[in-house]
Amino acid sequence: MATTAAVLGTAVLLTGCGSSDNTADNGSDGSASSPKVINVTFSGNSVTPNGDRVDVARGQKVEFVVKADAAGEIHVHSTPEKELEYDAGTTELTVGPFDTPGLIEVESHALDKTIVQLQVK
Amino acid sequence: MSGDYAPLAHGIGGRQDLPVPLETAILAAVAALVISFVVLAWTVRRRDDAPQDVSPTVSTDGGSRMTSAPSGRTVGWLGRLVDSVAWMVVMRCVGMLLLAYTAMVAIFGKDLETNPIFGIFYIWWWVGIVFASLLLGPVWRTVSPVRTINAAIDRLRGDSGANDGAGLFDYDETRFGYWPAIVGLFAFTWMELIYTHNSYLGPVRLWIALYLAAMLIGGQLWGSRFYAYADPFEVYSSLMAKLSVWGRDDEDRLVLRTPLANLATLAPRRGLVAVVAVLFGTIVFDSFRDSVPWLKFTQGDNVIAHHAYLADNLALFLFPAAVAAFFCLGTMLTGVGDDLDRRHLPGLLAPSMVPIVAGYVVAHYLSYFWEGGQATLIQASDPFGNGSNWFGTGDWSVSFFFAYHPTALANIKVLAVVIGHILGVVSSHQRAVAVLPRRHLVTGQIPLLITMIGFTVGGLYLLFAA
Repeated sequence: MATTAAVLGTAVLLTGCGSSDNTADNGSDGSASSPKVINVTFSGNSVTPNGDRVDVARGQKVEFVVKADAAGEIHVHSTPEKELEYDAGTTELTVGPFDTPGLIEVESHALDKTIVQLQVK
Repeated sequence: MSGDYAPLAHGIGGRQDLPVPLETAILAAVAALVISFVVLAWTVRRRDDAPQDVSPTVSTDGGSRMTSAPSGRTVGWLGRLVDSVAWMVVMRCVGMLLLAYTAMVAIFGKDLETNPIFGIFYIWWWVGIVFASLLLGPVWRTVSPVRTINAAIDRLRGDSGANDGAGLFDYDETRFGYWPAIVGLFAFTWMELIYTHNSYLGPVRLWIALYLAAMLIGGQLWGSRFYAYADPFEVYSSLMAKLSVWGRDDEDRLVLRTPLANLATLAPRRGLVAVVAVLFGTIVFDSFRDSVPWLKFTQGDNVIAHHAYLADNLALFLFPAAVAAFFCLGTMLTGVGDDLDRRHLPGLLAPSMVPIVAGYVVAHYLSYFWEGGQATLIQASDPFGNGSNWFGTGDWSVSFFFAYHPTALANIKVLAVVIGHILGVVSSHQRAVAVLPRRHLVTGQIPLLITMIGFTVGGLYLLFAA
């Protein structure tokens, strides 16, 4: 009995307090109209950024400005997944807009590295 | 849109959940902490009320004092139904049809992401088994196609079932316990989390073939009892089923019980600590490696980053090893009487880790199971990718309910973790009362309590960070 009460009590407590949703908008350039620009630089075996988290608003497009010393492709692990090819030199790639909130990994499978994690909310 | 869009051929993981908000995680951690000490305080009172002659005898074969199962409420008609031959035949047929379908798409299906084999293997089987067992009891034992095939082979050998699925040898569960299943659990988690070609058809097909071969040979050698200890899916399913409301009384009749009373009937066997540690440790590893600091570290310029694949392989063992080490330390740091060997304590208290594991599994996999499970059901209607609609589910679309309600999802996740923690703490308290000498009852529980709080807070941190 005491256990059941404790479980139920916590349930009420957590749902009650947790619902104070944080609807504050993300960073400075978070408006849905202009795309989020992310500069990506490939150089040999390394890539910058290196696994950073980037906030993206729902409905906002993401533009990767890729500077690379060789052609390759980046994988966007959204649902469904996307594959974007770039050439040596500078390539602009646009994905989105993403409507479903969530965390989307953007990877280079050739380097086996995560470039950014897009945090859509 | 300047990007060249192309659907990928391989890859099972798409969009992931948003992290749990920090305030929700902290709130849950505080709740877990408070409740833990409330339970401890309750113990202090109970100790003072307890009769003086509680001096437990612990047998070395791992059996606990709680040998007489709590009775529970019998459900006559339902019990008669699930114990009937007709029900058994239907369930065995369900299992065999699932196996036949899986074999079909594994052998004749295309090596593409749209092949339902991947969803069946990684989502329905591995994750679905947990949710099904928590709700319905030991489902894999009931439908297990390896048990069915094993019984059929026995039948063909002229073994008319008289000696109840006995093998060539007796399976010595007090000696080997759950250790064979640990091999299978590691094999699956390695496939799921480490192996780089895990979303290609060949390796998945090979894994299933090796599993079937190992199970069928094992079943012939050690009889059908082998499956209860060696089939990783049956072990996982039956452990989770101990948190369902469905149990069996001393006369093997179906009864309704509270999850805690049901968990109290879990007999500790050798290897149970390892099973629990592998299940918990590998999921924690899965969360941990997605956290930004770790990601940046393993992609940086250091010795671990240069051997990332090796490091992943080692981590798959080190995480469960660390969980097991903390748990053993937490359980053994107590005073013991003359008739109690300290080394038996981790095994005797291991069942209390099961709710903590279950809570974290639910938190980790809920949205993945919801979305991936539906996607697999849709793909299942078109097994060969030629536009057919076998089951009429082909034109359904996936409901992204949890993705669109991140606050609700975050609350459910932390609730699952906290409820798991509460059940774990109360269960460990009940076992401590049965196992520990009276004078060490309160102090003996504190290290374990701290360990459990550590697991829960660590889990909540990872829900926030990864």
